[in-house]
Amino acid sequence: MSGPTVDLDPDNAARDLVSLVLTLVELVRQLLERQAVRRLDQDDLTPDQEERLGLALMRLDEAMTELCAHHGLRREDLNLHLGPLGPLLAEDPW
Amino acid sequence: MSATDRGPAAYAPAAGAAATCVFAVRRSGDPGALAGRTGHAGGGPLRLLPLAGSLWAVVQSVPAAEFTQEALRQRLADPLVLENCARSHHAVITAAAEDGPVVPLPLATLFTDERRAVDVLDQQRSHLVGVLDRLTGRAEWAVKVHIGRPAEARAPARSAPRAVGDRTGADAATGTGAGTGAGADADAGAAYLTRVRGRERDRRAWQDATLHVAQQVHDTAAALAVAAVRRTPHGPRITGPERHQVLNAAFLVDDARAEELATAVRALHGAFPGLDVHIDVSGPWVPYSFTEGRRP
Repeated sequence: MSGPTVDLDPDNAARDLVSLVLTLVELVRQLLERQAVRRLDQDDLTPDQEERLGLALMRLDEAMTELCAHHGLRREDLNLHLGPLGPLLAEDPW
Repeated sequence: MSATDRGPAAYAPAAGAAATCVFAVRRSGDPGALAGRTGHAGGGPLRLLPLAGSLWAVVQSVPAAEFTQEALRQRLADPLVLENCARSHHAVITAAAEDGPVVPLPLATLFTDERRAVDVLDQQRSHLVGVLDRLTGRAEWAVKVHIGRPAEARAPARSAPRAVGDRTGADAATGTGAGTGAGADADAGAAYLTRVRGRERDRRAWQDATLHVAQQVHDTAAALAVAAVRRTPHGPRITGPERHQVLNAAFLVDDARAEELATAVRALHGAFPGLDVHIDVSGPWVPYSFTEGRRP
C-alpha cells in the first residue's frame, strides 16, 4: 500500500489542535478588519478612534504572526479549503 | 466507486470466481477499436454483451475476490491502484467511443454475473437510449480558465517579518514595517487601517474581475453548446500558487459547432486587458459529464 497512513503521533495531534484554534482566531481577525474597513468607509469615526482601531488591529496582526512563528506555522498554513465553498480565509489575493 | 450489485453483506466469492465489470453501453455490436484492447489488469478479454433494444454492453470478466466491496474499498484507497483502475476504465471507454456514442458507466460497475448485468441494464433501457440519442453527433469539450496572480497581490501588507518559505520578499514595496513594536509613529494605527482598506479594495476588485472573466468565457461557450456543466475550480494544490483557476466547465457540443466554439472561446484571450488570462479548450472528450450519471 502506498496510500497515506494515519498519523498517531500525539505531538502532531496537539499541533493540529493549535493550528485549528489559530485558524479560528485568524478568521475572526479578518472579519474584524473587514468590519473596520466598513466603518472607515462610512466616515463615522473620529481621527482618534481611527488611530486606536488601526493600532488594535495592527497589534492583532503582529500577535498572529508571532503565534504562528512560535508554533512553527506559516500564515497560509492556517487556511482550510472547504471544497466547493473555496477557502475559509481570505487568501492573497483573496 | 463501489460494486453496485449488493449481495448479502458477507459475500465471499469462491476462489477463482469471476464477476462482470461493465464499462459502457453503446449501439454498435462490432468490436471495432476494442479489438485487442485490455481492460482491468488481471481480468479476461473485453467482450460485447447483447442487451435488449439492440444495445450492447462493453464488459470484462474480473476476479471476483479482487472486486468485492471490501476489496475495492481497500484497493481504491491506494492512489496508485486507483489511478491505474481509472486509466484502464477511461482507455476502454475511449476505445468504445470511437465507433459512435457511448454511455460510460461509473468506475468499477460490477455484477455477480453476465445475466444479472443484462437484467439490470435492460431495466434501464429507455434511459440509456435517451442518453445515446442526446449524445449522438456531439462530444464534450472542456474549458478551463486560469488567471495569473498579480505579483503585488502575492505580497500582502504584513506588519512583521514573514516566516521562511513565503513566496515573495516584496514586503518592502508594500510599505510594511512602519510602526512595528512600541514607540511607533503617532499615526501608525491610521496608516495601518488605510493599508488594510487598500488591501480589501484590491481583494474585491480582483475577485470581481475574475468572476467577470469566468462568466464571459462561460457564456460565450454556452451560447454555442447544447448543455453546460460548471465544476468547482481546482485549487492551488493542482494549479500551483502562481495561477488561479476561475472556471472549470464542460460543454456538450454538436460536432459541427466544435470548431466555432473553440475559436470563439480562444478569441477571448485578448479581451481582458490588464489581466493575465489563460484559456484552455480541450476535446473532444467522451461526454462523461452529460450522461446523467444514474447508476444501473
